[in-house]
Amino acid sequence: MSADRLIKFELSKLNVHLPERRLSLKEALSSAKPQVMSRDGSVHTFKREELEFLAGLLPEADRDKLQVPILIALEPKLGRGTARISGEAEVKVVSQVLEKELTAVELLIYRPEVAILRRKLPTTTQYLFLW
Amino acid sequence: MAIALAVSPTRMELLKLKQRVGLAQKGHDLLKEKMDALVIEFFEVVRRIQEARMKAFDQLSVAHRALSMGFAVVGTLETKQASKETKRELQVEISTRHIMGIAVPAVEVGEVERNALVRGYGLHMTSSVLDEASREFERALKLLIELAELEASAFAIVRELEKTKRRVNALEYILIPRLREALKFIMMRLDEMERENFTRLKRIKAMMEKRE
Repeated sequence: MSADRLIKFELSKLNVHLPERRLSLKEALSSAKPQVMSRDGSVHTFKREELEFLAGLLPEADRDKLQVPILIALEPKLGRGTARISGEAEVKVVSQVLEKELTAVELLIYRPEVAILRRKLPTTTQYLFLW
Repeated sequence: MAIALAVSPTRMELLKLKQRVGLAQKGHDLLKEKMDALVIEFFEVVRRIQEARMKAFDQLSVAHRALSMGFAVVGTLETKQASKETKRELQVEISTRHIMGIAVPAVEVGEVERNALVRGYGLHMTSSVLDEASREFERALKLLIELAELEASAFAIVRELEKTKRRVNALEYILIPRLREALKFIMMRLDEMERENFTRLKRIKAMMEKRE
């Protein structure tokens, strides 16, 4: 059974880099040092220019709806390399960054788009592994 | 070829094995997703390394050209003497940042470019050409520090990628096939036992009918 325990341990470690609490874009912009505490105790700092870039993509009223970091959810049941972006403001922002048509509250993106998104928003996006 | 696990062919064991296969498959799929994400991160770091390396090499060639000018104008011995007198101190803050749980170094460097007065060599024996060469090397140093940070990140990502790949392969080529083999064995054995029971009952029924 040790193999099973090892798998469970690996699965439990997958999301330790995620923040305990996400910040709204408005909160992050108003903070002198925009950062969040991760579940593993490390500190994740956002680059101010990225936050300002995101603010430029959203109307002022929506800035408290956007939660950073934006989560790129990787779910095996969606198929390999497919990721889901959830949340109205998040979908709006990601659609604009990837120059995609705005859809509903959820957006499915694929591996090349994930790479572009990570390149443009390295500190304000993070991977989330779902099962 | 996968070697079957030693299992007893019972329905309880069959249920347990099915759960184990499910868990192993889930682990495999998720680790594969993690591997893909790490590959994306790795290629992004490699792209940035290429850019940083180009910049650093360009800056170093500019600096070497300036140094050659320094040798020509000030003289080789004087330039070497000035280099020995120069202060070799740099304030660097090294911390870690995390990419998907991997600790990669984050180097924060203060102002690398210094004033000619604080470099440490005497100004009366040197020339402004040497100051220019020093400035160019200081600029190159900043770029080299950035490059070092990126290369260390790439190594950390590759190490994690290697570890994840080993786990994915162990699951894909060893554990899951073994579990499936054991599952198949139990199912076949249970089917066989069912057939044996069926035949036995039929024989008993035939014997009883004959006796009557």
